[in-house]
Amino acid sequence: MIAVSLLSMFLAFQVTPELRQHVDAGLKAKAAGDLDTAIHEFKRAAELAPALPAAHVNLGAVYLEKKDYANAIQPLRKALELNPDLPGAQGMLGAALLALGYAGESVSHLEKAGAGNLLGVALLESGRIRDAVDQLEAALQKRPDDPDLLYYLSQAHERLAKQLFDRLRETSPESARAQQMLGDVLAASGNRDEAAKHLGAALALRPDLRGVHVVLGEMYVESGDYESAEREFRAETQMVPGSATAAYKLGSVLLQRGQVREAIAELQRSNALLPDMPETLLELGKAMATTGDAASAEKMLHRVLDQEQTSKLAEAAHFQLAQLYRKLGRSADADREMKLFQGIRARQK
Amino acid sequence: MRWFVHRGLCAAFLSSAAQGPPVELVKPAGLEFTHRNSPTTQKYLIETMGGGVALLDYNNDGLLDIFLVNGGNLEDPQAVPADFRRGDPAYWNRLYRQNRDGSFTDVTAAAGLSHAGNGYGMGVAVGDYNDDGFPDLYVTNYGRNILYRNNGDGTFADVTEEAGVSAGGWSVSAGFLDYDNDGRLDLFVSRYLDYDLSRNLLCGTPFRSYCRPDKYEGTTNLLYHNEGSGHFRDVSVKSGITSARGKGMGVAFNDYDGDGFPDIFVSNDLMEQFLFHNKGDGTFEERALEAGVALSDDGKPFSGMGVAFADYDNDGLPDITVTDLALEKYILYRNDGDGHFSYASNATGLAGLTARSSGWGLGLHDFDNDGWKDLFVAQSHVLDNVERINSALQYREPPGLYRNLAGKFEKSALASLPPVAGRGVAFGDLNNDGAIDAVVAVLGGRPMILRGSANRNHWLILKLIGSRSNRDGQGAKVRIGKQSVYVTTAGSYLSASDSRVHFGLARDSHAAIEILWPSGTRQILNDVAADRIVTVKEPQ
Repeated sequence: MIAVSLLSMFLAFQVTPELRQHVDAGLKAKAAGDLDTAIHEFKRAAELAPALPAAHVNLGAVYLEKKDYANAIQPLRKALELNPDLPGAQGMLGAALLALGYAGESVSHLEKAGAGNLLGVALLESGRIRDAVDQLEAALQKRPDDPDLLYYLSQAHERLAKQLFDRLRETSPESARAQQMLGDVLAASGNRDEAAKHLGAALALRPDLRGVHVVLGEMYVESGDYESAEREFRAETQMVPGSATAAYKLGSVLLQRGQVREAIAELQRSNALLPDMPETLLELGKAMATTGDAASAEKMLHRVLDQEQTSKLAEAAHFQLAQLYRKLGRSADADREMKLFQGIRARQK
Repeated sequence: MRWFVHRGLCAAFLSSAAQGPPVELVKPAGLEFTHRNSPTTQKYLIETMGGGVALLDYNNDGLLDIFLVNGGNLEDPQAVPADFRRGDPAYWNRLYRQNRDGSFTDVTAAAGLSHAGNGYGMGVAVGDYNDDGFPDLYVTNYGRNILYRNNGDGTFADVTEEAGVSAGGWSVSAGFLDYDNDGRLDLFVSRYLDYDLSRNLLCGTPFRSYCRPDKYEGTTNLLYHNEGSGHFRDVSVKSGITSARGKGMGVAFNDYDGDGFPDIFVSNDLMEQFLFHNKGDGTFEERALEAGVALSDDGKPFSGMGVAFADYDNDGLPDITVTDLALEKYILYRNDGDGHFSYASNATGLAGLTARSSGWGLGLHDFDNDGWKDLFVAQSHVLDNVERINSALQYREPPGLYRNLAGKFEKSALASLPPVAGRGVAFGDLNNDGAIDAVVAVLGGRPMILRGSANRNHWLILKLIGSRSNRDGQGAKVRIGKQSVYVTTAGSYLSASDSRVHFGLARDSHAAIEILWPSGTRQILNDVAADRIVTVKEPQ
């Protein structure tokens, strides 16, 4: 595209037949995907017209297309030296520099080119995280499902969080929040013993910290210690009675521990605080089926399926419904649910 | 009696001194067995599986004897074909005869059991297949299985070839049952994987570990029909058993739908479980999914290891308990009585109690004679380096005893027992004191003998002798009050338990007993005095 658009600039220049012949051959080869021939022809054109910016930018563009970033840089620099306002050259040079890891140097070129997405990446890689977030957020507005943008934006947020975490540790290393954050990170990385130490320290400093008991409880669930998990979730629900998450987690653990009535009460409380979360509805359905309240269980499981069609939650809900209908003697319904369950299961395999 | 009690345990049970510890670790003299699995850096899957244990009274002296299955030698790496050096005494299976003073004598060689074949040992089944009044042994292997006929004079003879039950492949658990009620014990064998040492895979990064079973194809189980005259016929295909290919581990029998024919449950590793419904015409139909016993409550497969097929809630219907690996929670399916089961791990509290544990052999037996069957499990993870992979889990674990409080489970304090790599477990009353004992086979180690503690509760033990039914009475249903026990030596994992039936009677000093024999004969015994072992013969 760039090479084609530059044809008019060639035409404005004093073009010899030989120069025109090489430019035409280069454009033709490029259009045909024969990049090596295009490079050869554009190189010859640049030799014949060294003061012609378009000749250099064409050569750089083909190198860029070939992903030969190292060779693209020199002709693009030359083109910009001859004409700093040459269309597309700033963006291409910025892209080539960024591809080779010269993120800092690429920023000014990408800024001039207004290349928001690449600029966001360049800013991220050159350590200007907040600016990177702004650029990438803006780019994502235009292309909301772009996997590269989503990836780099998540990286940017992660690094921003890391910066804030480092600042917290530097400025208030002994604070409850520093201990909590360290505990959260360690818990997420599966280092349970160390995480428990720091989370415990956080609670010792500030017993009213919200969320710490939930993280501790989740760690206990992951290690199969449901008794300790119940203790932690119960502490959180007592401290934060309005937390739907804590109520759901407590209810779920109580169900596994055989305290079905109390589990239902907690799960219903969670559902009242934050209605129709499919995880809560599934647990409620299971708990109600356990007590023999088939009608309520069926209702809850259908509400899961109103929101989930192909997920693991949907798979579990169909399986539960199949069991429920089988017990109720509704064979056709049971067979249908079992088929739906098996369909999801087969897709997930 | 001369039991050497491991004193260290006593302090741990002071808190429950009123009733005493539920079981005590004892070290009877003469029991010097060490299981050898020969772990290698190749991480051959067979290294993780053994071994089995049987409690049987092979010489009919009224005392239970102990048979322990050994593994075998593995080179590192192992060339194939391998003989696993089973001729070396270190790798023999062993039979220990119990003496009157509670000690044991190794009678392996004298009994003719030193020839363990060329297979790598797995498990054992016990049954009097020829109805001569002496229990016979069937030993499963990775390789050829062996049927040892009890000659009745203290010796056994390898009759595998004439009986036609050598199987092959990788057999795991086995059990005798009379599936067609013809009065002769048939034989079921669970098999694990289509596996060959030369095709062993290595898994795990960064820590090399044993591969999951889903890296291998499954295989078929086997059913042999007892034709009489010492010969069995392979009816695996004809009976429909081979219609389902699995990754079989434990096997247990009971009549879940009350139609008078024994059904077969096979626990499979990391796939759907199998419930073979006996159609009463010599064929079976696999119905686990329809019956609600194939998967977890979320419809997920789990690592089925051992299985107990017994009535835990005293409603007269056999329930199913399956052990599995840590974080999967032991599975309990309650029999609803209409051909379907409900997932009851949550409702009984078992899920919350067992989430950290990995179980193998298990049994539902009344350890405190209160009239409710408790759950005993031999425990250990399958991966010997699991702590490096997940620091919250342990490879070696003490056995678990989950006390049954009228249908809800509570963990008993066995934490001070030494952690071991428990595998098979067999149950019976070794010292005939009315308290159930357990023998845990330990992978690569010495077995644990756990003696149940007698308390003030009453008990009864029944020894059934069939006439029209098979002589063992296997498949008979015995009821006392609300309790019911199905007579079988099978179940657990790799193991065979005492064929006698034990009941805890709590405060009842007398009992009315109802026996439904496999022949269909119903026998009632009224006002039977408790606290004794009663022999009951089937009416002609």
